[in-house]
Amino acid sequence: MDTIIECRRLTREYRKADTVIRPLDELDLDVPRGDFLALMGPSGSGKTTLLNLIAGIDSPTRGQLLVEGADIGALGRNRLAAWRSRHVGYIFQLYNLVPALTAYENVELPMLLHPMSRRERHERIVAALDRVGIADRKDHFPRQLSGGQEQRVAIARAIVTDPAIIVADEPTGDLDKPAAHAVMTLLQQLNRELGKTIIMVTHDPAATAYAARTLHLDKGRLVEKDSIGGRLEAEEASV
Amino acid sequence: MRQLPFYYAFRNLGRSRLRLAASLVGSSLVVLLVLASGGFVRGMQLTLAQRDGLHDNVIILGTGSEEALERSQIDSAVEGIAAASIAGLKERAGVIFASPEIHAALPIWEDAGSEQERLAVMRGVRPVALLVHPEVEIVEGRAPRAGLDEVMVGQLAATRLGLPDERLAVGRTLRFDDRDWAIVGRFSAPDTVMNAEIWLPLTDLQIATKREASVSCVIVTLEAGPGGASFADVDLFAKSRLDLEITAIRERDYYASIAAFYGPIRVMIMVTAILIASGGILGGLNTMYAAFASRVREVGMLQALGFTRLAIVASLTEESVFAAACGALIGTVLGLALLDGLAVRFSMGAFALVLDAPVVLLGVAGGLFVGLVGAIPPSVRCLRLRIPEALKSF
Repeated sequence: MDTIIECRRLTREYRKADTVIRPLDELDLDVPRGDFLALMGPSGSGKTTLLNLIAGIDSPTRGQLLVEGADIGALGRNRLAAWRSRHVGYIFQLYNLVPALTAYENVELPMLLHPMSRRERHERIVAALDRVGIADRKDHFPRQLSGGQEQRVAIARAIVTDPAIIVADEPTGDLDKPAAHAVMTLLQQLNRELGKTIIMVTHDPAATAYAARTLHLDKGRLVEKDSIGGRLEAEEASV
Repeated sequence: MRQLPFYYAFRNLGRSRLRLAASLVGSSLVVLLVLASGGFVRGMQLTLAQRDGLHDNVIILGTGSEEALERSQIDSAVEGIAAASIAGLKERAGVIFASPEIHAALPIWEDAGSEQERLAVMRGVRPVALLVHPEVEIVEGRAPRAGLDEVMVGQLAATRLGLPDERLAVGRTLRFDDRDWAIVGRFSAPDTVMNAEIWLPLTDLQIATKREASVSCVIVTLEAGPGGASFADVDLFAKSRLDLEITAIRERDYYASIAAFYGPIRVMIMVTAILIASGGILGGLNTMYAAFASRVREVGMLQALGFTRLAIVASLTEESVFAAACGALIGTVLGLALLDGLAVRFSMGAFALVLDAPVVLLGVAGGLFVGLVGAIPPSVRCLRLRIPEALKSF
């Protein structure tokens, strides 16, 4: 299995006044294509920073980050934005749907960054909405949807451009248990059936049960590799 | 660069009706203000410009009174002497275009019982005045006849006097010099100071002002083309007749000097308009800061999807300018309905606000400027945060 993400001595530092904060400290990590990786750790451990670096919405201070063979740390702002639109789908804890747009239009947003015919765009949006089981709500506005449905729309938005990598930041953090189970099952299906590489940050141990493996971070370093022998089925995890 | 769709900007306008209302009211008020001040300046300019090029008149008036015809007093014989001495004055059917006139600002009353005194700009003329001032057109009734206590009024005379227009209808009377004067005609002289004057026969005004042997000025029209007199000819005549104590000035130069006198007022009006419009822009900025500040996370999300900062700024600006354009449209319609032609009094008479194409364009541009300037700083501020920080904001 080829490696889709390679981190070498990956470091991220921030400067606040005279203090240097280092949420990620010389981290080495390889993620094989098709992996479903859960990142856990206490607040400030660097898991969201790692996620943001992999997603290309932040840049490392030092070290190398190769994603799909591209050294994304070396890309300028606009090239990085173009790279993101092609390679990464981002799922947010709070869905981040545009309230003034319908579910269909929210899913359409990332498609607008890719040149294609209107018809092809329409077909791909409908397919993505269908994939997450929300096609019948395509004309609904976010305020007319439940939290679980909103997150499904957000997942459709993340997969509609067919990115190789999906990053998810606490995707179940704002959902009740049944909705969280449904969302995690959906992510698991995307990983298994479509071969998407998924990197997920979570505080929820139940959510990690859907992942292929879980990594623990603390103070910007990997502290433990928790290899789950086999994926738990969704039904088991929800118990 | 891939742009955000227009419907994104358009739909976002509906997210806060209060903000939309504030944007619409703000930009429409700015447009109204620009239209009012622009229309004022334009109206005054046109009025005092005396329609340059339509004719070439020269005013012969008393030396030392070059800045106020009302103060001028010359011998009434100047008319005949000038007509005989200056070759090349305009002439039609044996009538030389030399109009002796009295210009006077006199107190008048509505009737004998009226206590409120109103200052009217009156002009005593002979029929030749209608030849010398071709802009003057009698639109109702007839010209007043001498000895019958008759007057005719300009279209804006009522405004000048602070009276309703119907009060100066043909058939009504005005009182001055202890008697009633019948209004027998109405004339129009668009975009000239004459439009706010009251005209009456020269002899009647001479009697009323007790200056039977003098007039304020003689206005002559130069014949155009070869053989026509030039201003230098009239000027030479005035300078050679030291006994008459007269001087010559082009009619348009006279009004230009008055326009220059009112220049500071126009500047003051423009500065006031700019200051108030600046307030509108600051209000717009405030509205947009509030609107965009609540969307920092959404802007972070759009960046995470792959939209560039420039595309996002363009969309937010589009949103603001679209709202401002709607407000500008409302302001323009209101302005044209309420302000165009609105009469304004000033010491020389009255003039109408003129909302012509340049003024309307200026107003609309002002409204769009509010949208543009109101959007860019808040949207840039909105994008100042790094994407991870923006995604964490609430």
